Parts: sequence; C-alpha cells; structure tokens
Amino acid sequence: MDFRLGEKAEEVKREIRAFLAENFSEADRKAAAEDGGGHDWDLYRKLAANGWVSAGWPKEYGGGDRDPYEILTLYWELCKAGFPWIGLLNNGFIGHTLMAMGTDFHREEFVPKIASGEIAFALGYSEPGSGSDVAGARTMASPDGDDWLIDGQKMWTTTAHTAQYIFMLTRTSTQDRPHRGLTLFLVPTDAEGVDIQPIHTMGGERSNGVYLTKVRIPDSYRVGEVDKGWSVVRFALGLEQAMGYSDIHERFIQSAGRWSLASGPDGQRPFDDARIREQLAQTAVHAEVSRLLRHRSTWLAAEGMELGAKGAMTKSFSGTAYLEDAQNWMNLVGPAGLLKEDEDGALAEGNFDEAFRQTPVNTIYGGTAEILRSLVAEVELGLPKSR
Amino acid sequence: MDLSLDESQQILVDTFSEMLEKECPTTHVRDCEDTGFSPSLWAQYCELGAQAMGLPESVDGLDMSLLELGLVATQSGLAIAPVPFLEIAAAGRLLAAVAPEDPLLAAIVEGRPAVSLALPRPHAVPGTSTTTGGRVLIPFGTIADAVIALDGETLFVAEGGDKRRSGRVEDIGASALAHWDLDQGTDARVLTSGPEARRAMTRAAAEWKLLAGFWLTGVAKRALSIGADYAKERVQFGVPIGGFQAIAHPLAECAIRVDGAELLCHEAAWADESDPTRFEMLASMAFTWASQTAIRTADISLHTHGGYGFSTEYDIQLFYRRARALSSVGGGAQEELQNVAQLCFDSDGSGEAESLLGGPR
Repeated sequence: MDFRLGEKAEEVKREIRAFLAENFSEADRKAAAEDGGGHDWDLYRKLAANGWVSAGWPKEYGGGDRDPYEILTLYWELCKAGFPWIGLLNNGFIGHTLMAMGTDFHREEFVPKIASGEIAFALGYSEPGSGSDVAGARTMASPDGDDWLIDGQKMWTTTAHTAQYIFMLTRTSTQDRPHRGLTLFLVPTDAEGVDIQPIHTMGGERSNGVYLTKVRIPDSYRVGEVDKGWSVVRFALGLEQAMGYSDIHERFIQSAGRWSLASGPDGQRPFDDARIREQLAQTAVHAEVSRLLRHRSTWLAAEGMELGAKGAMTKSFSGTAYLEDAQNWMNLVGPAGLLKEDEDGALAEGNFDEAFRQTPVNTIYGGTAEILRSLVAEVELGLPKSR
Repeated sequence: MDLSLDESQQILVDTFSEMLEKECPTTHVRDCEDTGFSPSLWAQYCELGAQAMGLPESVDGLDMSLLELGLVATQSGLAIAPVPFLEIAAAGRLLAAVAPEDPLLAAIVEGRPAVSLALPRPHAVPGTSTTTGGRVLIPFGTIADAVIALDGETLFVAEGGDKRRSGRVEDIGASALAHWDLDQGTDARVLTSGPEARRAMTRAAAEWKLLAGFWLTGVAKRALSIGADYAKERVQFGVPIGGFQAIAHPLAECAIRVDGAELLCHEAAWADESDPTRFEMLASMAFTWASQTAIRTADISLHTHGGYGFSTEYDIQLFYRRARALSSVGGGAQEELQNVAQLCFDSDGSGEAESLLGGPR
C-alpha cells in the first residue's frame, strides 16, 4: 500500500509552482476572479508553450504522455492558486475524446492546434429544457446536402465567448428512444447564426447561453457516428466526474486554519473557541476524505481498472461536503464573514464569502449530486433504476 | 500509488472473514448480549494468533502492522464480534513498548483477555464523567484483570479485581462496561512516568482509535449491505422500495461515506510507518469519520426497514446500537473533533506549527 502520488507527480508540483511564481501574479489572480470567465488566452498560451495543455495525451499526438497522477497534480496546483483553468480542463477532455472517438481529419486538424494553445473548445451539452436529462437535447441538426444545419439553444456554455469551437450535442433523430438520436459536432463560435450571450452567476463565474439559427456545419465536423452521440458524451462526462473539488476545499481549510490562529480585531484568536476548532476539524476531515476519493479514482484510472461509479462518488461527495462546510462556516463567523476580499474588515481574505457564493454550483454542474447518487445506487449497490 | 492489499493481507482478511461467518452469526451476537463477551469466540481469535498479532517477535508476537490489525478489526466490525480485540491490541502494544517484562503481557500472549485501557479524554464535556482517577467506565472492564491508566505523567496498572471493579453496567451496545476505581492508591503498579508516559498513552489511544475506526467501518459496511438488500426485497406500491430515490439516495450517500472511511483508515495505518508526522492526526480523523459514518449508515439502514428496523427481531438494530456504543466508548465524534483540530493546526500548542493538511509528505 502506498498513498503517495509518486516522484513524477512531485516533480510536476515543483514545475507548476515555479511556472506560477514566474507567470501568475497576485494581480493576475484577482483579475481572473474578477473576470470569472475561467480562461485567459495569454496565460493559457504560456501553459501550452510549456506543454501543459497536452500533457496527458500520448506522445504520438504531440502529448507529454504524463500519467494520471501528474495530471491530477497539474490541475490541483492550478486550481489551488486560483488560476483560470476551466479552458485547460475542457480542452484536455476534448483532446482525449477526439483522439479516442474522432476521425483522422479531427486528429490532424484540431488536436495539434489544441496542444499548441491555438484553439479552445467549450462544452455544449445543456439546454434550457435539458440539464440532468442531458439526452433530452432538442437542438436539431438536419442534413442539408453534404452539410448539417443546426438550430436550437444551449445553456451554461462556459468559455464559449473565448473559445473557437463548441463541442455540441445535437438531436439528429426523434424516431427512437431519446439517447439513440444524438450526434456530436464541433461548431465554430464565429459561424454565421451563432449568437453568444453572457450568463452571470452568484459565484462570480461568467457562463453563456448560445443561440443557434441555421448554423451550417460540414459533415467532417461531426464526431462519432450519426445518432450514436450518447457514447461520446458518456466518455467525456466520465472524465469530468472523477475529479471533484478537493483541491479548492483544501485551499479553503488551509486559509481558515491560518486565519483562526492569528489574532482578530479584538485581540483574540478564533482557534481558542471550541466551536471554531470543531468546524475546522470537520472541514479538515471532509477535505481529507474528498482528496482520498479523488486519489482513488485517479489510481483506478492509472491502473486501467474498472471505475464503476467511483468517479460519481468522488464528485458527489466533494460537492456536497464542501457546500455544507461553506454554509456552516457562515453560521459561525457573523457579519464580517459576508465581506468580500479587500473589503475593510474581511475575514481570511474573503475566504468564507467566496466559498459561500461559489459552492452551491459544485453539486450542480458536471452531473448533479442527485444524478450521481442514482448512479451510485444502481452501480455500487445494485438497486433498481430510480428515474 | 497503490491502494490494494497485498496477497498476505488478503489471506488475513479471508481467514477472519471465514472464521467469523462460521463462528459469529448474529444469533451468536444475540446470545452474548447479556455479557458482551464470547469466551468461545475469543478462543477462536487466539487460535488464529489475534491476541499477539501486533506484538513484536521478542515477546512471541507476530510483528504485524497496524494495517493488518485494522483489517482484522474491520472483519470483526462486520460481524459485531463480542471480543476485546481492540483493547487487547492497544494495551498489548503499549506494554510491549514501555514494560515488555510485565507479567500482563505474558498473560495477553497466552490468550487471556486480561487488560483494558482507560482512554484519556482531555476534551470530555464537564460534568458527564470522571476520565482520570476516580470511577471510570472501562470497555471490557467486566472481564479485565487489570486496567492501564494515565494520571498526570504517571502510567500505571490498576489491578485488584472486585476491589476496584464494579459489576457489569448495562449499556445499549453490550460493551461489557464496568466502572473501575482508578485512583492510584498504594497498590497500583507504575509502568513509567514523565513525558514518556504521556507519549506512550497518547500513542496507545491513537492506535485504539484507529483500530476502532476500522471496526466501525466494518459495522457501517454490514449495516449498508443489510439496508441495500432489504431495499431490493421489500415491495411497496408494487415495486421494490430501492427504486424510490427517497430510499436509494440516502443509501448511496452512505456507500460513498463508507468508502471514504475505509480509505481514511488505510491511509492512517499506512502513515504509521510511511508518513509518521501525520499518523496521529489521521488516526484521529479516521475515528471521527468512521464514527460519523457508522452511526449515519446504521440510522439510514434502520429507517430503510420502516417499522421492522425498530423491532428486535431484525438484525439492523444490533448494528445501530453498536455503532453508537463503540463511538461513545472512545468519547464520540464531537469530542474527537477537538483532538483533530489540535493535531491538524496546532500540534505543538504554539500556534505556529505547520498545518499537517495537504496530503502525504
């Protein structure tokens, strides 16, 4: 038994910390938080230039052949530093998906440009009428000569306003059961008929709604077979759900710990109050369990073992526990906890406010905790399908 | 990274699993409810060397690690075995560390359930109990010949049978509790004193708590499988109730937490040898989380049964009571959180210690 991620991961930690020290200032961090778009092209291209965008891909596609522990460490360090990394994450998923399920054209045209930081993708699954029931997508793709015409609307298309393409789930058939009539396309964001509108969120993240009107897409931009898009989506979602928020949960508890041991405005230490110690400890336990579940998912992936619903367990627990902690901290710290970073009197650099605003979405996007619990019940406990 | 058991560890698990399936069905647990102790089952444990598993070879032990002891504890929890495995393991290792010549250690190796521990409880709620000196509730205090306790910086053995020991006091978990009078008096045998005594007892308590965490993880696992099985069989409104999200989701949430408890116990046991600065913190976390998880899981499973869960006829109530009892015998999760906080953030009391969070080192 060995719980360490290994020497290669330690090396990645050192490299990324050095990269951040050189390229990501405190002003950059605040600007990223203010912008909320999750992607910054200047920073992103620097990452790409150092090989980090394609770090987890095989060498034959120009990737770094880094193992899952190294990739975990890459994301972990960027996330803990407040780096705008959503674009990086999406592009890693899309690259993997195109390599596994795309055509030679995709692998030659798109994959190298993703690796070099030239292009980026947003994920276009959700719609106004379909969230958890992702297979219920109604955005239609209709054949038109050798092309397709896409009409409909997408929701929560984060980074669409900075990306060149959207990896888009569409309906190509209404004849069979819903998940049997789905097809994936790579939709250029500058194509005629694509209209991207901002959606602002309580957590400060900016997402988008995307309106599609007779958007003409060549058949070569289709990923996977017609009407067989469900397997492509499941593959891409599986990559996402094995992660969770243990990195940022850890940043939160470390910040709370430092804050609690320093004297406050009245000269007293929060740590000397048993209620604060109890909440610190409960948060620390949650963060540790969350990290262990994520490490287990990573280990299973690295060993090529069956993941079952272990990825769903990781994300479900992580989202739920961090949300609960963020709310319980607010119950403890009074009005000063409401203040944002840099406001006069803010506690722990606005740690509590930030977590309180940001954590509600953690049990929602990328698979709600409720959907994930159903998966766990069915796959891990063998209970009947419950929806 | 490698989270799997090696071959000999898997054999150990299988050996105890098979023995307990045969020797400790819940009917046997029920037969032992009056005393909380099964002499015949303990004899089976000793047949497999359980009483000396974690002791060094120099005292005729098997020199096994805390992980291996923990694996046996989890199997014991799955079967809610009425045996003092935790107390004997922790007390034996404590004696081997500070007083390897002590006759009590020889008694343990021979298979006598001779010793229990008075766990230090620095964060006990005032007014609820005596935790040092005076009358202290001791697990398996009904059958122990001796109790090891810490008073200030003196680690001592209290012997003297019925002079110090009350009769059995009945508790909800059949924990074989008795009050022990732990004033040192004139007849106590001092094992060691000074900072070493405190360190040794702190260590023993951490080991007991980690092993209790493993045990509680076993209790939680069995409670979960009982609940999930019932949810598949029980039909209401014409379908198995496990198909209702109101039933399925709480069980799924427990399944996740149980996996977390097992991982945390394994990490803590691994840290004993490979990441020692984090060992005590992780052991404390493991006890806390396994307590919370076992109590929650037994509760969800019991309620999955509806009214039957509350009847003594169904087994889930045995697990519901024992999850609570073992956690409380160690002080309980809420009390342990105070220990976790200290160990995570202020391990030396200076307010300047580096936080031990952030993964293995």
